[in-house]
Amino acid sequence: MSEMIKLYDDSKCTACRGCQLACKQWNELKAGQTENRGTYQNPPTLQPNTYMIIHYQDYVTSEGDVKWLFRKEACMHCTNAACVTVCPSGALYYNKEFGTVGMDRTKCIGCKECVAACPFEIPKYDSKTSKVYKCDMCESRITNNMEPACVKSCPTGALKWGEKDKMLALAQKRVEEIGGNAAVYGDQFVNGTHFMYVLKEGKDVYADIHENPKVPLSVFIWKDLLKPLSLLGAGGVIGGSLLHYILHGPKRPDPEPGDDVKTEGRE
Amino acid sequence: MKPKNGMIKATSGYERFVHWMLAISCLLLCYTGLGMMFESLNFLGVIMGGLKGLKIVHNFTAIIFTVALILAIKMWWKEAGIFVFPEDWEWIKAAGGYLWHVDHVAEVGKYNPGQKAFFLTVALFGALMVVTGFFMWLQPGFVPMEVLRWMYPLHVLGFVVIFAFFFIHLYLGTIGSPGSLPAMTGGWVTRAWLKKQHPKWLKEMEHEGKLIVYKDENSKKV
Repeated sequence: MSEMIKLYDDSKCTACRGCQLACKQWNELKAGQTENRGTYQNPPTLQPNTYMIIHYQDYVTSEGDVKWLFRKEACMHCTNAACVTVCPSGALYYNKEFGTVGMDRTKCIGCKECVAACPFEIPKYDSKTSKVYKCDMCESRITNNMEPACVKSCPTGALKWGEKDKMLALAQKRVEEIGGNAAVYGDQFVNGTHFMYVLKEGKDVYADIHENPKVPLSVFIWKDLLKPLSLLGAGGVIGGSLLHYILHGPKRPDPEPGDDVKTEGRE
Repeated sequence: MKPKNGMIKATSGYERFVHWMLAISCLLLCYTGLGMMFESLNFLGVIMGGLKGLKIVHNFTAIIFTVALILAIKMWWKEAGIFVFPEDWEWIKAAGGYLWHVDHVAEVGKYNPGQKAFFLTVALFGALMVVTGFFMWLQPGFVPMEVLRWMYPLHVLGFVVIFAFFFIHLYLGTIGSPGSLPAMTGGWVTRAWLKKQHPKWLKEMEHEGKLIVYKDENSKKV
């Protein structure tokens, strides 16, 4: 099998939230108590028991028209995933078949390093279980030749699951059909995501979207520079001390004829 | 170890207690931290029931380390936290006689500039570890994500410095400077060692009448 992409086309999305429910159902996630905040968007953000949500946004165009904007938020399944880079336990890993980012929660130690590293702010920590939760692209389904639960449930064809080349071609075709500011979102970041959007408007008008996500510089400095430096530094000091001992010699007290104790300070 | 006749008291029991509280908690933090940072060292967690055990031990040892660090800074900052000029500068220019031959090393107070540098490094980078570590432990919240992200490389920076300095400290506290170790075990050191390592301190203690010399009743007088 080759790399697979889940493609979301917001121009076809009616925000029925069938995907949100299918996600809960397949992953056996409990529903939380929601509250009326004057929007259909509920819960307001991703939660440990909510791997994906549909964003609802009233958008006023430059002509003064009010438009609905919808967006499905979930793990983007980066090719260069900061969460996998920082995960100390191997709980987060790349699915070698599809390129998605899976999660073995039995290995998760709840260090929350992925929470701070993710450029999309996706992983959510649950203090009750002290573990982290996120979408794993329904790994139990895709490894059994089924599409992810959200895709399966989508009644309008806004969600599609397929091989990378085909999905990218489809996305490009859709962008041309929509015209205007429509664009593909996801192919330009973190060496390409495995969850991509076709956005009918420019990405700058979408609320809470990450316009230029990238692996944080702090992760590079932490993992690629300082981590190896810690061993090099300590190794250098140990080597230097050894050289000092054999070349310069230790700093010994001068012998004192009057002392009845040895000059080394101990026997 | 039983002190010998004529040995001089260099440290109090409280000093040694704080030193070892700081040292043991620091080493345990290094051990558990290494086991989490390097996948090839994950096996270090076996004796603690896996990586999760490492994390729990790391987090709670941090509290002991924090207390020890506060006690250590309170105890030592006056003696080891402030450089005294010009003699400290003279000592630094000669590298304390550790690196090349120096006929006469400048006499400095109780702690030499090398020791002061070590104390300041432990105090500053220890505080850095405590601050960044607690944000990492108790996140999310308190600080914006952009700030939180930098806690991790800063925490590792602290480790780079402290881990390297630990080996310098280990070397100079044992084989690199024979006679130093008893100062942190029983507290009694030889007069010859004091004369070599801390001549000015020896003179000060003699001058102020604070010198405590061990007298063994059973041994004949010297």
